[in-house]
Amino acid sequence: MIVTVLYYLITAAVAALLVANIVKSRKWQDEVLYVIVLIPFLLRLLRLK
Amino acid sequence: MSAEASAAVVLAVMAAAYAAAKLFKLSTELALFAAALAGALAGGAGIPARHIAEGAFTYFDIILIFVTATLFMNFLKESGGVAFVVRAVIGRFHRRKAILFILFAFLLLVPGALTGAGSVTVLVAGGMVATVLGYMGLPRPRVAAIIFLIAGLSAAAPPVSLWAMLTAAGVNMPYVGFFLPLLVPCVLLALVTIFWLGRKAGPVDLALALRELPEPPAGMNGMRIALPFLLFLGLVAAGRIWPFDFPILGLPLIFVAAAGLTLVLSPVRLPVLAVARRTVEQLLPLIGTLTCAGILVQVMTLTGVRGLIAITVVTLPVIAVYLTLFVTLPVSEAVLMWGAAPVLGVPLVLLFNTINLNPVVALAGMSVIWPLGDAVPPTAIIGRLTADTVGMKEPYGRFLLECLGPALLIAAAGTLMVVFSKKLAFLAVF
Repeated sequence: MIVTVLYYLITAAVAALLVANIVKSRKWQDEVLYVIVLIPFLLRLLRLK
Repeated sequence: MSAEASAAVVLAVMAAAYAAAKLFKLSTELALFAAALAGALAGGAGIPARHIAEGAFTYFDIILIFVTATLFMNFLKESGGVAFVVRAVIGRFHRRKAILFILFAFLLLVPGALTGAGSVTVLVAGGMVATVLGYMGLPRPRVAAIIFLIAGLSAAAPPVSLWAMLTAAGVNMPYVGFFLPLLVPCVLLALVTIFWLGRKAGPVDLALALRELPEPPAGMNGMRIALPFLLFLGLVAAGRIWPFDFPILGLPLIFVAAAGLTLVLSPVRLPVLAVARRTVEQLLPLIGTLTCAGILVQVMTLTGVRGLIAITVVTLPVIAVYLTLFVTLPVSEAVLMWGAAPVLGVPLVLLFNTINLNPVVALAGMSVIWPLGDAVPPTAIIGRLTADTVGMKEPYGRFLLECLGPALLIAAAGTLMVVFSKKLAFLAVF
């Protein structure tokens, strides 16, 4: 249970870093790629998958 | 239309979409995604949201390993640990070229072996090792070739070898038994590479090299560097020694623990958030490729293209496969990057399995060859990154020429591992 919670925290931290980098990014291709990469992180955090 | 013809049409559409995307200067990752979308549309699946989500998850665990391992390495570099080790090594062994080369080879192997990414080796240790090699009188293209080739081998080295992990996942084979089949060729070939390309190196100009290398912060010592690695190894070992009494932590959590200890032991306060953000930015091409390759493979499976490729490869004459491995693997890596492993690696391992070869050793042999493609255009991501890091001003072709000899040897060694995989099966013990 503790390990599961820690993994959710790691996922949330990486998702937050991805979002922060989307905001700062100036290249549209990078922004699109960040959004694609973010998909599994958000789905996991929302417990949809 | 037969199932085969239909899959062939979808494959052609995917290839055309990929080529068109590259023509419009899209990155390789987005070109992979465009190919997946075009394939789904051509296969009559529309925009399959469920399959996109499913595919994006394929390598989620590997992405977590990359991010956490690279964070650990970047904390180590920012705390001055890597600079401390490089300065200590040349300070002590600057007159002994052989020992210096052996230590440099290991220094370059560790970051990539732990993270699975050659780019991490180049960024964490490549620049500093290149500085010293430069002061040993080696020309820049040759220095770049040494860094690039060992970075590639470090990415293939255990415990994290992306090509082996992706392919093993694709054939439902556990990632077990790969440690020695990957470690032995990677270490031997790294040593051969540095001694071959560095054979004309002279003694280090110690004063100049030390002046150019970054100064580690006061208070840095060997213990502060060793303890996080000992924690990492201890946690990995504990899970194996006491499998029923010790919780299964997983590599990402173990890397986070090691990164945390690096932070605590750092003699200077590290800008945690800035380093973490830079780490994710640095890894974007890698984790982007993994996510998009996962989506591509999912769509290939949905539309029957993956089956078509698998059947085509499995029915090829084996001799032709052996003789072309040294071309097909690097070229597939140059086009698809890590996506080459699930697309081409999976059917090849199935082929080798059906002809009674050892799939673990054969896959390890292929994993040693794949990274060579990272210097080949159109992508050449790690090749160009190395050239930039080393500060090479010469044409890119000169760097490729320097790589040629050792690269052929690496390709030959990998191919021989595949051919004689059954005789080398004793290596696949853990």
